[in-house]
Amino acid sequence: MRPIQSMFRTKHHHVPSLNVASMPDLIFTVLFFFMIVTHMRSDEVKVKVEVPQGKEMQKLAHKASVVNVYIGRPFQGPDAEYRIQLNGDIVTAEEIPARIEAIRASMSPENADKLTVSLRADRHTPMGLIQDVKQALQQSYALKIHYSATDKTNN
Amino acid sequence: MFRKRYRQQIPELNTTSTADISFMLLIFFLVTSSMDTDKGLLRQMPPPPLDHEQPVDINKDLVMRVALDADGQLTCDGKTVSVRQLRDEVRTLAQVNRTGHVVSLQVDRQATYEAYFEMQNAIVGAYHALREQYARERYGRSYGLCTADEKAAVNAYYPQRISEAPTTDASSDGQKGGRV
Repeated sequence: MRPIQSMFRTKHHHVPSLNVASMPDLIFTVLFFFMIVTHMRSDEVKVKVEVPQGKEMQKLAHKASVVNVYIGRPFQGPDAEYRIQLNGDIVTAEEIPARIEAIRASMSPENADKLTVSLRADRHTPMGLIQDVKQALQQSYALKIHYSATDKTNN
Repeated sequence: MFRKRYRQQIPELNTTSTADISFMLLIFFLVTSSMDTDKGLLRQMPPPPLDHEQPVDINKDLVMRVALDADGQLTCDGKTVSVRQLRDEVRTLAQVNRTGHVVSLQVDRQATYEAYFEMQNAIVGAYHALREQYARERYGRSYGLCTADEKAAVNAYYPQRISEAPTTDASSDGQKGGRV
């Protein structure tokens, strides 16, 4: 029996190298696909949100005039209370009118007119909190509300 | 002199790492972007009631009272209904009295958002079905394919007359309507 070293040596064939010249093109295609179908995450979501399902859906237009409101339980921390997150920060319902005013002031006038609140609330949120938020939004004349949801496939 | 220079072969650029660079870009975009589609129910709230504003009296016969209790049970004018039944009820009401009816929503503070959303979905679905039907009769095409003017005409023909009075202060009867 031959020693192991020489056994490998004799098996040495030259494998022709694969032409990978088109690989960057392929990856760029995938990259462009993702750049088109996705959009940048505007803010870090600090609460756990599982939106309800619905059928009569409309798409949210005018991204520049959208205020995101998330309602859910925080990911971190021991408290299991539902919290409101407006754009990037956790707020209380009483703070919402002031925040909306600040956001509206920073927008261009035509965007401020179209100001829409995208409400992403967890499906188990009690309605009391949602009603407080809605009342706060009404006080600050942010009257367009978009209840975010996913498509219901069955039924 | 020049000829000699042209004969020189230009060395090929090594593009092996382009794949790695584009992979890094790809991964960066995958991490920083989200794919969640912005779909949902678009609703319009009425402006906050002014102090000097007098609530409008509405004939009780025209009002359908829809209530959602803490257990997520829907009641429509006192009788228990399912989401689908509610949809049919709203559709019948809006068809019979197009511009005079009012759907009054009463939501318990302990009810879940999901139940509320399903209720809204059913009501909006009833109006959408009516508008779709009218758009087909009037313009011969689906509501979604109508022009903005035609949509406005259809919306005016079947207006959404929904009132959401807050449950916290039952004494004040300020009408909080919602329409699109």
